Amino acid sequence: MFRVLLYDQWKAVRQPLALVSIISFALPVLSVQNAAPHPVFGVRAHELLVTQAIWGTAYPLLAGALGLLLGVMAWTRDHRTDHVYALSLPLPRWKYALLKFGAGGVLVVPAVMTLGVGTGIAALAATVPEGLASYPVALTARFGLTSMMAFSIFFAISSGTSRTAGVVLGSLAVLVGGGVFLDVIGLGEHVIDPLFDLLFRPGSPFDSFGGRWMLIDV
Amino acid sequence: MNNAIEFQGVSYRPGRDFEINALTLTVPSGAVYGFLGPNGSGKTTTIKLLMGFHRPQSGEIVVLDRKVPEEMPEVLAHTGYVPERPHLYPTLTVSEAVRHHGAFYRTWDERWVDQLFDRFELAPDRRISRLSKGELGKLTLLLALGQRPELLVLDEPTEGLDPVVRRELMSVLLEYVTDRSATVFISSHLVHELERFCSWIGIMDHGRLVTELPMEQFKNGIKRLRVINPEQSAPEEPFEIMFRESVNGGAPGEMWLVRGWRSDMASFFDRGGATLRDVVDLDLEDGFVELLRAFRAEMVRK
Repeated sequence: MFRVLLYDQWKAVRQPLALVSIISFALPVLSVQNAAPHPVFGVRAHELLVTQAIWGTAYPLLAGALGLLLGVMAWTRDHRTDHVYALSLPLPRWKYALLKFGAGGVLVVPAVMTLGVGTGIAALAATVPEGLASYPVALTARFGLTSMMAFSIFFAISSGTSRTAGVVLGSLAVLVGGGVFLDVIGLGEHVIDPLFDLLFRPGSPFDSFGGRWMLIDV
Repeated sequence: MNNAIEFQGVSYRPGRDFEINALTLTVPSGAVYGFLGPNGSGKTTTIKLLMGFHRPQSGEIVVLDRKVPEEMPEVLAHTGYVPERPHLYPTLTVSEAVRHHGAFYRTWDERWVDQLFDRFELAPDRRISRLSKGELGKLTLLLALGQRPELLVLDEPTEGLDPVVRRELMSVLLEYVTDRSATVFISSHLVHELERFCSWIGIMDHGRLVTELPMEQFKNGIKRLRVINPEQSAPEEPFEIMFRESVNGGAPGEMWLVRGWRSDMASFFDRGGATLRDVVDLDLEDGFVELLRAFRAEMVRK
């Protein structure tokens, strides 16, 4: 049962999943492009940290996108058929949901692995200045856990009715879109920033999405 | 197990406009039960209750000696289901869908499925989204039969199919039922299709069961009688009068729709001074229409 559900989900997401995996490999490699020693000044630590911080914002976004993709796609075909097929199968509903969750969880692995390979290559290729260190394993593990968390959230949201899923995902889209808009008109720091602080500060539910995502750090 | 399906006083109200009302229905084991009714009469809702998709607000449903929806996985392990609308994942190919489906059933019979595959001439590599309506109908029936079910629940399985495919599906179904003594619960509004095939008949209208009875009894026992000089209140007739009305066009007498008719009952009219002029046989379609008419008239009267 698990195998066929895994196959079905893999088939549905294989193309976007391949893209996410390629990106997750490329991200760390690209982030250390300017970490080669300068002929005159060598590698400047500050410059490297700034670059890492900029690239670092992409990792949680990628983890969120991966979770969104797998979470939503796990249920899309069931929603399209009003869950009739799933409900007509001879197994308890909780077991069906658990098997689907497990299959989605397995599909997080390829992107995490390619990120692991990417961070490994990047860490070996980069010249890390004195006082700094590379953290390929920690970054990969964090990416894996954050992707799983995002997947769990979106899986839970999508497992409800299409309407519920639509309302929740729509609200999230409005929140993010509204945040960007308020930032553009200069009100972001008053309205949206406190909300994001509440959600992403250390110890908050989405802590792992925030903070520093640096392959090379102090 | 005497009955494969039992509904006892089941009520379910999905919205303001429609309800299944105190439905009591019995499908004997081994019967091919034709579930007839006009569109919107509650056939599909009843099937969804039977399949455990909805939980009834009151009443009890027992299928294959197990309570629904509490013991649904055990029921579904022995039930093949063909829904009204296609329910398969469109991204899978035909062979992938078969493999996917078979993985959930302990009794999945690979050899039997291969035979059906050849018989239905299905292309294994074709995606489900690219199948014609007929091919999809064949695949859905193949999946329902592959686990060799004790009970088949078919919700308008031949709706929209051409006569060749329809006949082919029905013949496979008949062979299976004859071979395995399986019970079939089949809904349709194609009355003639069920007439050839069913041993029992149940008729739904407005969320209520109008009648259920063996097909033979339905075909032989329901008649339209033309009666001259009938008494206004017939005294203890040996049959059930379902409906009586004046004959159209001003001809004398009344037209009665009766149930439980036998030819030796004609003498009943001699006693009351009435004359029985005609006894009209009704085929299933006529009987179905007349029963609905009688039922609706009764509802209006109430």
